[in-house]
Amino acid sequence: MPADATLGTFSTERSRARWSLSDPWRGALALCYALLLVLIAYPLLRLLAASLSVEGGRWSLSHFSEFLTQRYYRSALEHSLYVGAMVTLLATLIGVPLAAAVTRWGVPGRTLVRALAVLPLVSPPFIGAYSWILLLGRNGWITNLLNRLYITLHPSSAAAVERGAQTAWLGNIYGSRGIILALTLNLYPFVFLMVSASLSSIDASLEEASANLGATPWRTFRKLTVPLLTPAILGGALLVFLHTVADFGSPMIIGEDYLVLPTLIYSLFINEMGGEPTMAATASVVLLACTTVVLLLERWYISRRSYVMSGLRRAGEREVPRGLRALATVFTYGTVGLSLVPSAVVLVTSFFPSTGPIMRPGFSLGNYATVLRSAPRAMFNSVFLSCVATLVCMALGVIIGYLLVRRRSRWTAGLDALLMVPFAVPGTVLAVAFITAFGVPPLLLTGTVTILVVSYVVRRLPYAVRGAAAVLHHIEPAIEEASVSLGASPWRTFRRVTVPLMTPGIISGGVMTWVQVISEISSTILLYYGAWATMSVVIYQQVISDNFGSAAAASSLLLCAVFMPLLLFNVWQRERAEELI
Amino acid sequence: MAAREGRGVDLISVGLTIRGLRKRFGSHEALAGVDLDIQPGEFFTLVGPSGCGKTTLLRCVAGFCRPDAGEIVCDGQRLDPLPPHRRNLGMVFQNYALFPHLTVRQNVAYGLDARKAPRQLVAERVEQALAQVHLSHRADNLPGVLSGGEQQRVATARALAIAPRLLLMDEPLSNLDAKLRVEMREEIRRMQRSLGITTLYVTHDQEEALALSDRIAVMNAGRLEQTSNPLQIYRFPATPFVASFIGLTNFLAAEVASTEGGRAHVCLKPASERQAAHGAHSGAPAPHSAGDAVGAQAGVTISAAARDLAPGQVVTVALRPERLHLAAPGTAHTMSGRIETIMFLGATTRLRVQTAFGSITMELHADAAEGLEQGAEVNLAVDAEAATVFVNATG
Repeated sequence: MPADATLGTFSTERSRARWSLSDPWRGALALCYALLLVLIAYPLLRLLAASLSVEGGRWSLSHFSEFLTQRYYRSALEHSLYVGAMVTLLATLIGVPLAAAVTRWGVPGRTLVRALAVLPLVSPPFIGAYSWILLLGRNGWITNLLNRLYITLHPSSAAAVERGAQTAWLGNIYGSRGIILALTLNLYPFVFLMVSASLSSIDASLEEASANLGATPWRTFRKLTVPLLTPAILGGALLVFLHTVADFGSPMIIGEDYLVLPTLIYSLFINEMGGEPTMAATASVVLLACTTVVLLLERWYISRRSYVMSGLRRAGEREVPRGLRALATVFTYGTVGLSLVPSAVVLVTSFFPSTGPIMRPGFSLGNYATVLRSAPRAMFNSVFLSCVATLVCMALGVIIGYLLVRRRSRWTAGLDALLMVPFAVPGTVLAVAFITAFGVPPLLLTGTVTILVVSYVVRRLPYAVRGAAAVLHHIEPAIEEASVSLGASPWRTFRRVTVPLMTPGIISGGVMTWVQVISEISSTILLYYGAWATMSVVIYQQVISDNFGSAAAASSLLLCAVFMPLLLFNVWQRERAEELI
Repeated sequence: MAAREGRGVDLISVGLTIRGLRKRFGSHEALAGVDLDIQPGEFFTLVGPSGCGKTTLLRCVAGFCRPDAGEIVCDGQRLDPLPPHRRNLGMVFQNYALFPHLTVRQNVAYGLDARKAPRQLVAERVEQALAQVHLSHRADNLPGVLSGGEQQRVATARALAIAPRLLLMDEPLSNLDAKLRVEMREEIRRMQRSLGITTLYVTHDQEEALALSDRIAVMNAGRLEQTSNPLQIYRFPATPFVASFIGLTNFLAAEVASTEGGRAHVCLKPASERQAAHGAHSGAPAPHSAGDAVGAQAGVTISAAARDLAPGQVVTVALRPERLHLAAPGTAHTMSGRIETIMFLGATTRLRVQTAFGSITMELHADAAEGLEQGAEVNLAVDAEAATVFVNATG
């Protein structure tokens, strides 16, 4: 091998890597570019083209003006923005005080709280929505209980009709309220996790210095803590907003007539009257525009305010008045408990004997028997597709992560930018873009199982790459140089040193990919075909056909498939940590 | 290397020759043409301030950095076209770069495994290398649990286990605390002597360089300022930069009074007169208005070995603080001044004295400085033959 190649491989940041023909990484870079251009840029451009073209092969904005002038379309946009804003606001209002309570006010059992708070994030939102129907829906447990107390939630519910009640006393769970309730309790951990990480990274000396310089606690809070926390709060809020407007499952299950953009797109596509793919493409572009604008605004803001903090001393817990601590404890456990209600309800009711939407207290494995009998293929599909997508993501993540960190150049910057795109693309939009781009030759993928795997990989790849890159940033280049100076070839070094050191990051990225992919519904529901229905599709079908019992059993199985790997991963990590000490 | 594998850790001492090495990073010239000859078995140190190019030079030898021009020859073989993993040079990194996922034993065996050495030989060599650094009892630990000193020794053992042609060390002691650093210095020196391995050592610590090396090259702005043995470097710095970087130095303005043979008598110029002469180099102390402290004195003349000087030439005199002592008032060729600060350093005491020729730092045995107080008037004399004279750059 010519010297050029290896010299290039291990040049430091100071000496820009020079590419050479025999360098395998150069080939890898070209392949990754080709892959991402075909799988990310091309479908989105086709989507845009579909929304802009009118009959006769001309370009026009007429679809967009139709979208904005017709009430049916415009209201979906308004609903999306309203729900997005409300969920973001509420999640922030819950997440920020919760972070303060757990990191600063000495709420007992903070490790437990942190662990429990992650659970809502990984449990699929549509399961949350469905379980709120079980509780507060027309025939919900709480609805019926309140009816006995003469409080009517639904004038149309069975109990209310029986009683002859005409007016609803409290709000109706269907529509925007239900979506907001389900998603807020599902997504507030984003804010909580980011803000508590930021809070504990603020060096204790900073606040002490502020006090020492004569600032009152309130002034310190306003002038120091809040500005330092703002990027984290905004970061968390952004994630909440993006997930809310992109969510398909909850509005589909609990929204009923209240259409938001993803459900509008779905109904435009899968329409009994034949569908309107052009308007679906237009709505997709509108949704994509919303997420992109918000994402770019946030990037712009963060780029102007990022602080480098050398967190030497962790800020400890404060001395807080006992009353406040008690209040914080109640708030913390109340919120976390409430957000775990959906999973608990689903698990408990899955054992209730049921016929259709009617579930009676008791114990039975009938629901599980039904699921196992009727949907064994769906279970296999979910596990199989998640395995394949996870493995592909892990492999690509390592390769691209390595390129981005160790082989940085003008060329990799473009790769990095391309990988930002999926962050802004909701699953529904990606699915429509894929159908638009890959529903016609030369790349005919629609109606194959490949398109499902590819869509999962594209959506999760940015996370996998970022995970791998983050680990690599913590591995000193000197360690790889040491390997080479000891006589190991670059390839041997990559296999024997780089990859083993990246393993924890690769595995944790893999677990997160698995968790997200196995509960994916928004693109699956548009891209799957008969034989390749997944568990989440089955749950959705069971819920809309009022088979609550088997829906609960299927949801419980799905929750197991989500939580078990997380649990195993945590155990593995703990054992590994003990080994190292 | 196959030939050497049977020889245990016996090493053949080879030399290293560097010719016209240049390296540029953007607009920064890291190496501006470096020539170097390192003898077989020599402990050679590159010393200089951060950014002087010493680490770049070492990384060029190791192969992690490709020079723009020049050649590196080791053992009669051009190194520069070889990829780093074919160079067979042992390198000890500043932060040790131990593989955190491998045990100490696996770390040390790593290079031998990469060479596909027979298992039996690997085991033997690893035992030997670990015994050499007194770490046999740590063989099965992961690097994370070792102390800083132990990690440093593992890094050294790992580099030596491959029986390298050269040992390259990049500030290997800079992450250790002061006391351990001095201990490890001795250990490195002892090991290098007993193995006879040619060693290229990089440090920014001039004291470390003086203590360890057979020869030192002082680097500045990508060039070698002076290459010599420690004593010569300290006693006879070739440039003002070397004089200021190695040890403490007072720079005083002077004028050549007379010359005879290889010697010159130079006359110190009072600070008030030397505005024009000042600024020859960055190491010179700033001019002081000494009018209030002492009156202008005439006729402080110092004799120094110097060539190519002509009477009337403006020069800079470098004086080591320990080459000044106190003299009785009124003695000829002494400088009177007032003590500005007194710093007790243990074995010695450092005085800063304001004189008509500028602020002068001197170092006395702690005993000799006893009883001195700030503000006291003292008289400074210069040891014979203790000064170095530099011709001021003109233009």
